[in-house]
Amino acid sequence: MLELSDIRKSYRIGPTEIEILKGVNLKVVTGELMAIMGPSGCGKSTLMNILGLLDKPTSGTYAIMGTPVTYTDDDNLSRIRNRSIGFVFQQYHLLPRLSALDNVGLPLIYRGEREQEIRTRSLEYLKKVNMHERASHNPTELSGGQQQRVAIARAIAGRPSLILADEPTGALDTKVGQEIMDLFRRLNEEEGITVVIITHDPGIAKQCKRFVYMKDGTIIEQ
Amino acid sequence: MIFRANLKEAVRSLSSAKQRTILALIGIVIGIGSVIAMVSIGKIVQAEVMTQFREMGTDILNISKDPAADAGGASKKRDFLGLKEALSIPAACPSIDQVSPNVNLGGEMSFSGKKLDGLVLLGVTENFPDINKVKVLKGRFISDLDENSHFCVLGNGAYQKLQGLGAGDVIGRTIKVNDLLFTVIGTMDSSTPGGMRTFDPNQTVYIHISTAMRVKNLWDITNITARVRPGASHRTAQAEVKEFFTKNVTANVKISSPEEVIAQMEKQMQMFTLLLGAIGSIALIVGGVGVMNVMLVSVTERRKEIGIRRALGARQNDIMGQFLMESIILSMIGGLFGILVGVGGSYLAAYFAKWQFGVSYMAIFLGVGVSSVVGIFFGFYPARQASRLDPIVALRSN
Ligand SMILES: Nc1ncnc2c1ncn2[C@@H]1O[C@H](COP(=O)(O)OP(=O)(O)O)[C@@H](O)[C@H]1O
Ligand SMILES: [Mg+2]
Repeated sequence: MLELSDIRKSYRIGPTEIEILKGVNLKVVTGELMAIMGPSGCGKSTLMNILGLLDKPTSGTYAIMGTPVTYTDDDNLSRIRNRSIGFVFQQYHLLPRLSALDNVGLPLIYRGEREQEIRTRSLEYLKKVNMHERASHNPTELSGGQQQRVAIARAIAGRPSLILADEPTGALDTKVGQEIMDLFRRLNEEEGITVVIITHDPGIAKQCKRFVYMKDGTIIEQ
Repeated sequence: MIFRANLKEAVRSLSSAKQRTILALIGIVIGIGSVIAMVSIGKIVQAEVMTQFREMGTDILNISKDPAADAGGASKKRDFLGLKEALSIPAACPSIDQVSPNVNLGGEMSFSGKKLDGLVLLGVTENFPDINKVKVLKGRFISDLDENSHFCVLGNGAYQKLQGLGAGDVIGRTIKVNDLLFTVIGTMDSSTPGGMRTFDPNQTVYIHISTAMRVKNLWDITNITARVRPGASHRTAQAEVKEFFTKNVTANVKISSPEEVIAQMEKQMQMFTLLLGAIGSIALIVGGVGVMNVMLVSVTERRKEIGIRRALGARQNDIMGQFLMESIILSMIGGLFGILVGVGGSYLAAYFAKWQFGVSYMAIFLGVGVSSVVGIFFGFYPARQASRLDPIVALRSN
């Protein structure tokens, strides 16, 4: 489904260039539930952003469904993010002024869906994460775990084939984190969504069908 | 739909930053207000001119001595022209139907020992009401049979002044002009000053022209109001009058037609329009910069939001549309208040100038149109900045 070949990413800080990703090779197969682990600052988020088309590599090729990504067509990148990828972030990243329901509907707005359709779909997905009773609440009125559930509903509202989750349980306690993890497993098993989770927690990583380790800007398969 | 969503988002965003929003609006309100006032007052004055001339008609010429030519200083026996010559104009000029000569006199007027201020004494002929379109309210007007008599007729304002002094019905009462007594034989209905009238018909006391000239020992009349024969052109009429004067009279003549009077009024209006236009455009620029500033702050504050939206699939154009919508709504709110201010301002102007007030729909369309153009113009740069943000940089910012 996804194939990274010799992906490199470097940042220029002043006169010096630091290479964060030093030739990453990784294949993600459709239907996988995969964890990426590694020490803080090793470049996991950088890799995740490249996978999610939010960032572009300095060099190397990235192919989605066999098609190499061309980074010059920004509208197409937006379209792929909108239709095929759902993001879940450590800090939830819900829009504070919108209700839970409206947050879930955001990806559908950018698809040009009708308002009524967006409402029913959003409610349906809030039900899936068991948050439909809080549909009209603003994010500030929700706990961390509840916010993350809403964020997951938003990630799946567009019916993506891939979920990219960057430390989704990092800000939650173990029990709530496990509930979120259960949700990802269910989505993976029941809906066949490919899930890639970045995590620090070996307990979470163990529940994934496959997990890889990142070190010094490269991937070490386990 | 993205449009509806953007609209909602704009309202939400603007209402969450009320103070900043209101401050930015002041410039727009003043700017749109001036533009609206400019257009409205223009329309009101135009309508006013129309009613003035509708009352008196546009087939009128005003004939008087040219004050500019007076500077020559050559001592002429005659100042302008005598009554007989004036009355012979219709016979000499085929395009002139009727003339109504008058003499305009100063003089102290009083009623039972109390001074009457602000009134003009006008010597006129019998056809004066007909040509000047003023109407008798009570009694009768001066007739040509009243030659050398001491009868007078009061304009509506003068009539009310006398009533205020306890003259009751006033007809039959006497007023004193210098040392002479005049008996009131009639009063006039009120009528609008302006247009082709060189005087305020309400603040006038009319006596017969022969009496006026004899009392003041005058050889010359002051002014002639002439009515052009139906179907004749103003230009020919003017040419004929000019020729009459070069043949018969030594004095230089000034002939003004409604076109000239209207042109004069329009010139004054233009000054006014120019002033309001200048204020309006400066205020609009200031307001526009205010909008731009608010939008730039809004974009900076919402970088993270922009990043999130981009991650969820918003294209650059979607972000651009969202912020453009916000700046358009912002300046249209200013525009709506501006319309209120402009209409209110022109109402006040009309009230104090005693014009007939009216709202022009054109002005309202203009207000909405101009404010949205300002919103688009000054919102474009911030919106483009927002749309050009790198998604990952936006997402990482706080
Ligand atoms: N825009 C940037 N400019 C410079 N350095 C960056 C930038 N983004 C990330 N980095 C650096 O790249 C390294 C990897 O970051 P990140 O991918 O977030 O690590 P992880 O998610 O594994 O903790 C860090 O050392 C970080 O400081
Ligand atoms: Mg990270």
